[in-house]
Amino acid sequence: MASAGTSGGSVTELASRLYDACISQFSHDHLFYQQDLLGLEILPSNDLPLLLQCTQSLVDQKLFRLLQGKNDRLAWKIIPREDAEKLQNLSPDESLVYNVIHSMGRSGIWVRAIGGRTNLHKSILDRCLKSLEGKNYIKSVHNVKFPSRKMYMLAGLAPSEEVTGGAWFTDGVLDENFINVVSGFIEFSVSKKSWYEVPASDRSRNKRLKTADGSVTVKKESGQKEYLPYPAGYKGYPTVAALTAAINQSGITPVRLEEENVTQLLEMLCYDNKLVSLNGEAYKSVKNPAEVKARQARKPGEDPSVVDDQLVRNGMTEVPCGQCPVFNLCVPGGAVSPENCEYFETWIHEKGPLSF
Amino acid sequence: MASQYVAELCMLLVEDNFGELFGRIFSTLHRYERLTLQRLVGFTRISESRLRAALVAMIQHHLVYHYTPLEEGVTYYSANVHAAYYLARSGKILELVEDRLGRYAATVMSTIMYLGHAQVSHLEALPRLQPGPEMNGAHGEQEVREKHENGVNGMNGDHIPSQSTLHLTLKDLAAHGYILRVREAHFQSSADNILDIERHIRLGESVQNMKGKKLEEFVLEKRADMLKERLDGDLTRGLIINGVPRGVKRRRVNGTSDDLDNKRARFDYDNAGISGDGEENGWWDDDIPMESSLTIRVNYDKLDVALRNRRFLDLAEREAPRETSQVYDHLLRRIEYQTTKCRDSTEIPREGEEGEQYSVSIPLSALTQDIDPYVDLVGSLGPMDTSPNKRLGKRHFDDTVNGDDDGGGGGGDDNDDGTDRSDGNRAYAVDQHLSLLAQPPFNLTSKRLNRGLVTWTIEFRHLARKLRHLELERIVEARYGDVALRVIRVLQAKGKLDEKRLQEVSLLPFKDLRQVLASMQTGGFVDLQEVPRDAQRQPSRTIFLWFYDPDRIRDNILQDTYKSMSRCLQRLRFERGRLKEFLEKTERSDVKGNEELYLSEGELERLREWRAKESLLLGEVARLDDMVAVMRDY
Repeated sequence: MASAGTSGGSVTELASRLYDACISQFSHDHLFYQQDLLGLEILPSNDLPLLLQCTQSLVDQKLFRLLQGKNDRLAWKIIPREDAEKLQNLSPDESLVYNVIHSMGRSGIWVRAIGGRTNLHKSILDRCLKSLEGKNYIKSVHNVKFPSRKMYMLAGLAPSEEVTGGAWFTDGVLDENFINVVSGFIEFSVSKKSWYEVPASDRSRNKRLKTADGSVTVKKESGQKEYLPYPAGYKGYPTVAALTAAINQSGITPVRLEEENVTQLLEMLCYDNKLVSLNGEAYKSVKNPAEVKARQARKPGEDPSVVDDQLVRNGMTEVPCGQCPVFNLCVPGGAVSPENCEYFETWIHEKGPLSF
Repeated sequence: MASQYVAELCMLLVEDNFGELFGRIFSTLHRYERLTLQRLVGFTRISESRLRAALVAMIQHHLVYHYTPLEEGVTYYSANVHAAYYLARSGKILELVEDRLGRYAATVMSTIMYLGHAQVSHLEALPRLQPGPEMNGAHGEQEVREKHENGVNGMNGDHIPSQSTLHLTLKDLAAHGYILRVREAHFQSSADNILDIERHIRLGESVQNMKGKKLEEFVLEKRADMLKERLDGDLTRGLIINGVPRGVKRRRVNGTSDDLDNKRARFDYDNAGISGDGEENGWWDDDIPMESSLTIRVNYDKLDVALRNRRFLDLAEREAPRETSQVYDHLLRRIEYQTTKCRDSTEIPREGEEGEQYSVSIPLSALTQDIDPYVDLVGSLGPMDTSPNKRLGKRHFDDTVNGDDDGGGGGGDDNDDGTDRSDGNRAYAVDQHLSLLAQPPFNLTSKRLNRGLVTWTIEFRHLARKLRHLELERIVEARYGDVALRVIRVLQAKGKLDEKRLQEVSLLPFKDLRQVLASMQTGGFVDLQEVPRDAQRQPSRTIFLWFYDPDRIRDNILQDTYKSMSRCLQRLRFERGRLKEFLEKTERSDVKGNEELYLSEGELERLREWRAKESLLLGEVARLDDMVAVMRDY
């Protein structure tokens, strides 16, 4: 203690020299170990007690943050001076809370977790949080995974994807319209690249072709475009990277989408039976551009019976029993029976005349 | 098979086709399983003499199995549910036969079906199978073909004896495997057959000094062999030449038939290793009639294969260009000729426990020969060699149509290059089409290299599974909408998922997701698994996982389908009952065929209405049968 007392001034001075050297020679994110600080050759070599005094004084001034590095070694990080000023004005409790919140970085921390770490009483914690929030040092964020939890993070940070749920969430809620717009765009783009459009000049030539069994090749009326699939091994199918670039260029998205976001959406489209993935890299669309366009032009409220992008109907979806709410009760001769079934009645009347 | 609804359905089918007496016997036998004649008399309260007559007829139709154990000497009867069910499929089968082999073949087939099984000599004697003058119109086309065939072979002149038409058709049917020889063992249920065979083996000499496990293994092995031998009614032997039924090749009328010998030689070379019966070429003789003592019946197993292939073809037709599906059709035909049944196991294996079962592989060169030389194979696919750079440059990701036209025009030049190349290389074009089908989204074919030869094959189990899933997905989509479909497909791909993960993958708002999951759970399509994190099993400390079990759902839907089928038939009966008197009038022998003459305008209208109703309901039964086939038989 005696030496500390005598060289008090020099410790502060040394410390500030050490701090300046750190600032100038390392990035602000650098993790300093004992060797790094000694290596700056500001302190007399191997004077560990002095180093400890210097760092402690810096930590007290909030210019250094004390951390635990690998193998339980002590480590420090520098804090910019302006931040340090902020911190110096905080009460001890507040600074404790601030440090805990700071330590979680972009993922934010739950209020109860802060309480658990700091061991502060709830009322004190609330007061600290309130004052920190009032000073605009921290902000509360909405976590999609735990919508009911109150989470905090530093005001200057953008919440991480895990917290916001990724690009598809706006204010913690899945942005359906945005997804629909982007997925529609993707489907159409992929579709254009996965079908070969027959040029108009070729179309007329094809028409004359006859097959040996006498049947004339049926072609669509000339006004319609004709699409052909590419042969296997075709390399022109769009990749995730190409699609991501295209989306970001198109201006339909206010935020920049990353490849992983787009992959997520592409996977969803695969589950929707709209695209198929070829070896996980390139994507190919199931429908050709004309069909895709036709479907996208349709209003959602329109009669679904004209939709032919639905999977083809089968026996169970046609027969009234397939949709019958009392199917389980239906017994011949029972209260619900094939004889008195009103669904059959209407169905036969609707479909009967058509089925010739 | 022994569920309530199958029983109901089969009884309805038997009743509709054969009348109430058969229906009563059938349902009694089905309810009580095996019965002796005496007990059957007791349960049905039908006099013994009538019962005997009916049983004989039912045995003729394979509706009833009978078995007489040697030691007891009493005959047991049991219902053959399978055969009864196939009554529902008969229309589809006849349609297929007509499509493949012509009208007359369908008539022959329907006669065989109508008789249950029949001796060839009996068929010869039937007046409806004589191609009389009034039949000519009906199967003129067929006859033209026959004429042509005979002309090519130079064996007969223009005159064709009627018997030869029948025999030719029977041979066609036999060659395609649509009919088979009736064997003694066909009249016994498979369980009886197996027990009988096992008894035989155990009594045999070779097992006397075997014991325990070794004995069991031996019995099991031997059993399969003997069962196969006993049930084997294969008539295709000698009628299949190099993997193609006789007669099929010559159907091609123009140009190709003149170099038959040449081609045959080439075929021998192609698949000498696969079907080594090249020496049986002698069967080209159409003059050898079918043995008249032969008794034949319909081979439902084989017809299921053919019908299943048709479903595969439907899959191809939905997405691929017409030419591609034509190529696929030819591949499927070739495979059909060499596939005897849909699968080896009696039950459909559980999802994920199913091994793959490949079809025979068909050499590319043989396929190339089959395909109509006038089909435009090259022009029906896009060009391969459009450089991606050019495309990227010209076609930006914008919606303007102009850009498209440019890109298309650029591709057109390349297409012309392709046409030049194709002249000498049709096999390459066929290969391209099949490769397209091998890719997602189809996955309908797969390529094999067999000793340096390119061959194509089909993954039967994979495709059968695909069909099954498709049927289930259709139901889900129809009942719960496309959001549900997405959820189901995610669950199927990823296995069990909790709600959060499910949302991440499916990108659905929680509200919609929960709604759709809840309604599907009520419908039994998805279910929840609870995994408690501690012993208290508190809901808050429990993980809930959603899952989709296609096996379970398939079973449920299958039962529902049976039920729907029988509901349709019951409704039809009810509707018929409503119009009973009117319908009786139309079926009077003098009115029938002369409806215009005897019925008033209003009555004709009513008749038309009734026919529409009937065809609607019966058509629906056939559609439902398609689903049963997918979920049970394929």
